[in-house]
Amino acid sequence: MRAVRGRSARVLVVVRYIVLAVLAVLFLMPFYVIVRNAFASSRLIAAAQWQWLPDQWNLDNITQLFTNSDVEMGASLWHSAVMAVVQTGLTVVVALLAGYALARNTHRAARILSALTIFTLMVPAAVTFIPTFVMTSALGWIDTFRGLIVPGMFSAFATYMFRQSFLGFPKELEEAALIDGANPWRTFWQVVVPNSMGIIGAVGTIIFIGSWNAFLWPMLVTRNGTRTVQVTLSQFMTSQLVNYPELFAGALVAVIPVLLVFLFLQRFLVQGVETTGLR
Amino acid sequence: MSAPAGTRGGPGIAPLAAGRRPTWGRRLRGRQDRNLWFGLFVLPFLAGLLVFVYVPIAWSAYLSFFEARATVTPTKFVGWANYSYLLSDPEFRSSLLVFVAFAVLIVPLTYVCSLGLALLLSGLRVAQAFFRSVFFIPTAVSYVIAAMIWRISFFNGGRFGLINSMLRQLGGSNIDWLGGANYGYWVALVSLRLWLQVGFYMILLIAGLNRIPQETYEAAAIDGAAGWRLLRYITLPQLRATSAAVLMLLLINAFQAFDEFWNLLSGVNGTYPPYGRPPLVHLFVISLGGSNQDLGLGGAGTMILTAIIVVFGVAQNWLTNRGVERDER
Amino acid sequence: MQITRRHLLTAAGGLAATAALAACGSNNGLSNNSGSSSGGSSGGSKPTLAQWYHQYGEAGTKEAVNKYAASYPDATVNVTWYAGNYDTAVPAALLTNSFPDVFEYGNGPTLDMIKGGQVVDMTDVLGSSVSKFNQSVIKRLTFQGKIWAVPQVIDMQLLYYRPSLLNKAGVQPPTTFSALVDAAKAQTTKDMGGFFAGNDGGVGVLGNMFVWASGFDQLNSGRTGLGFLEPNFYDSLKAYQAFYKSNALLKSASKDWFDASPFINGETAMQWGGLWSMPDVQKAFGNDFGVLAFPAMGSSGRPAVPFGAYSSCVAAKSKNVDAAKAFVKWLWVDQTADQVDFANSYGTHIPSQVALVPQCTKIAQGPGKDAADMVAKEGFASDIMWTGPIGDAFNSAMTNVIVKGADPASEFKPVGDKAVSELKRING
Repeated sequence: MRAVRGRSARVLVVVRYIVLAVLAVLFLMPFYVIVRNAFASSRLIAAAQWQWLPDQWNLDNITQLFTNSDVEMGASLWHSAVMAVVQTGLTVVVALLAGYALARNTHRAARILSALTIFTLMVPAAVTFIPTFVMTSALGWIDTFRGLIVPGMFSAFATYMFRQSFLGFPKELEEAALIDGANPWRTFWQVVVPNSMGIIGAVGTIIFIGSWNAFLWPMLVTRNGTRTVQVTLSQFMTSQLVNYPELFAGALVAVIPVLLVFLFLQRFLVQGVETTGLR
Repeated sequence: MSAPAGTRGGPGIAPLAAGRRPTWGRRLRGRQDRNLWFGLFVLPFLAGLLVFVYVPIAWSAYLSFFEARATVTPTKFVGWANYSYLLSDPEFRSSLLVFVAFAVLIVPLTYVCSLGLALLLSGLRVAQAFFRSVFFIPTAVSYVIAAMIWRISFFNGGRFGLINSMLRQLGGSNIDWLGGANYGYWVALVSLRLWLQVGFYMILLIAGLNRIPQETYEAAAIDGAAGWRLLRYITLPQLRATSAAVLMLLLINAFQAFDEFWNLLSGVNGTYPPYGRPPLVHLFVISLGGSNQDLGLGGAGTMILTAIIVVFGVAQNWLTNRGVERDER
Repeated sequence: MQITRRHLLTAAGGLAATAALAACGSNNGLSNNSGSSSGGSSGGSKPTLAQWYHQYGEAGTKEAVNKYAASYPDATVNVTWYAGNYDTAVPAALLTNSFPDVFEYGNGPTLDMIKGGQVVDMTDVLGSSVSKFNQSVIKRLTFQGKIWAVPQVIDMQLLYYRPSLLNKAGVQPPTTFSALVDAAKAQTTKDMGGFFAGNDGGVGVLGNMFVWASGFDQLNSGRTGLGFLEPNFYDSLKAYQAFYKSNALLKSASKDWFDASPFINGETAMQWGGLWSMPDVQKAFGNDFGVLAFPAMGSSGRPAVPFGAYSSCVAAKSKNVDAAKAFVKWLWVDQTADQVDFANSYGTHIPSQVALVPQCTKIAQGPGKDAADMVAKEGFASDIMWTGPIGDAFNSAMTNVIVKGADPASEFKPVGDKAVSELKRING
């Protein structure tokens, strides 16, 4: 009896690994396609029958992409980098402050603002893109970094996450600091923030990825001066000048930074999700 | 930012001291200081929400009663004309249907797949972190790039698409996946989003699974429960809170769908076919996407969508609360 | 109502300042008199003009327009080569502070731009030279007796075929739509489609052709409604519906209709494309290609080709309207050598001044000349009152009919109603 059970359990484990391996191949397939197309000739991509191996193992497509003056890949990457880094930094600071205040106060103003935050969480920025666009163009911020970054800086999501995280933050640490004569501002930066790097890393990673990958808002507000890499690639895809190998070389270049950030910070993300209120 | 705060260093201790020894005057001052600090901390966030969310929404509500073409300061009041135009627009109504269809497909599918992956990974001895990373990593890819892969390589209707190539090798013929003559574009849309988001929700569910106390399983095992019964009677009920959050997030995200629809289906020069148009895409097309910048119509559309979300949110809240009450009884 | 708006704005501005967000937020885009990208032109210094072009697909065009701009003596002209969705970008830019002084727009400014006072009357820029231009184009740019733009070059679309393939299939160049269908079917092989007109099955680019080739106009003579809601038109759509279902119509190719690659790669035997692609086709096939108009549909039909002209407009809120108008006159009226260069040296376009046509070698003979003749004899341009909303409704109905197989009459009835109310809005 026991032996039978052991064998069937072992078979089950093997089946489990086979299923996982098949799924892993499927999940990695799109990455393979990016690489295949980025190192292929146009002829190979449009060939009558799919070929698995690329035919151009060199950097020609990437060099061509960066010298293609109709695409302006270098500038687009710069715009995306500025947007993602600045927006992540500012969003995290704004949300940290608000999230902390909301976690430590229970008076009426705090409750109202918490409710407002949750309401904003439900009516996401994407739904109100027209009002925000109207405001941004009225401020004269079209095609500026301000217009690209500032309207998306006030993240109800990040504030909510920080609030939930601070609810579980031990008050004793802060109280000790306050007794030592520090004001709430200094306490916050010197005691609370350094002890919250996990959740900051998690939220920061999510914001960074969202910012780097944003499409709708950059498409609305950027023109030639601040166009981000996602918008550039999207427009290149449907433009008259599209060249598929160059397009996928662009996808490769655009996906690498965010993959690196992701791989390095994945740990925080997983921990952050496990420790906060997303449940 | 730190400069004005620094100058207030002195009285900062007051609130706490006041809290300890509550003489009347000190308490009041303490409260005031407390409020001051609260205000300082939330000010950037509150101001940002007001300037970039609530004032714009109010402004759009105002615009929605005007003929606001290519202007944000309209003069021609048209009453409810923009609203009645939209509500009688069959394409607007069908865009709501597209959202419903999309949500009906993507929300349960993502949930089931994420849970499946989470369960498949739980208790794995070897290579658990590796597989988790593999399923999680698509989260980092943008919808634009994913749509590019799906549109040009996987689901291309031409002879060089990967799936069409395979179909022909198996003796079939090319399918025009994205052309709209069949429902192939739904396969592409749903599989794309599934690939991109399933890992994220898998992580949320893994966290939820890890919070289930081990003793619960052990107790159930002693009772002889295993396999499906364990899942049905232990795991799923214990996971209820996480599941509710996951389903809610999935639904909100489905409502916002724009990027992959746009990048899979849009044509040259910013055109978009009448099929497969979720609400945001339709709103974009009729208000900002064309040569006519119709902000009045766009404002009306925003109001309608916001109203739908609010009504839905209230209903959802009510249902959840009822559910909690019922559980407590 | 006025008060409400101003109140809202001050409130918003105040909050922004409090939050230290509006670092330089003083430029309130609502005050339309504020500065354009044209810098301050004080005293006797040369004015600066911002000029926008959409991104042309042919190599060398960008360098050419920069060269023209640099050689203009009376102003500093900064050319913006706009990647992305130009048709949306320009109207959006005209709402903001960074707008072009001079910009090209397909078939001149939109009706909304004209009626919104965003562009200036260009009648006096053309002056007596107006008679030198292609009159169909001038007619298209005229609204209420005024000409709103100066045409640059004329673009057109047409059908490419290969005589060798037709011979092999034993068919003649098609002059009716049913002959086109037969020819497409005869040339279709396992690896090659018969006819290609875009990855949407041709719905987007051929929609208007169905109207014109069936013998109708977009709008009725009084411009109060659509001019084609007739049984003959519906029959044409049903014919294309059937064609769409057959495998002779290629519905997906490596590039879209505006690029001749599918034709050149042998993905399709015939393709609807642009005159601008002719150099590529010539390079690939030498003399083994010909061009046709879209063939007549049904008994009342006629062959038709669409044409349009990107035309230079001047923004009304430019600080240097006169300098901008002078620049447009210099480039697109007086500089005939540059106009020939622009039309002939890169892609293939037709100059809009009739006398220059013989100087353009690419359209002086062979298929190029055939194409130029087609514009003169069978050319149609979209009506100025065919506005965005009408076009959107038309395209949606067209997709539903051709792709989804809906009934034409019931699909197009609401389009007709929408057009009537839209035209009433415009006329009223």
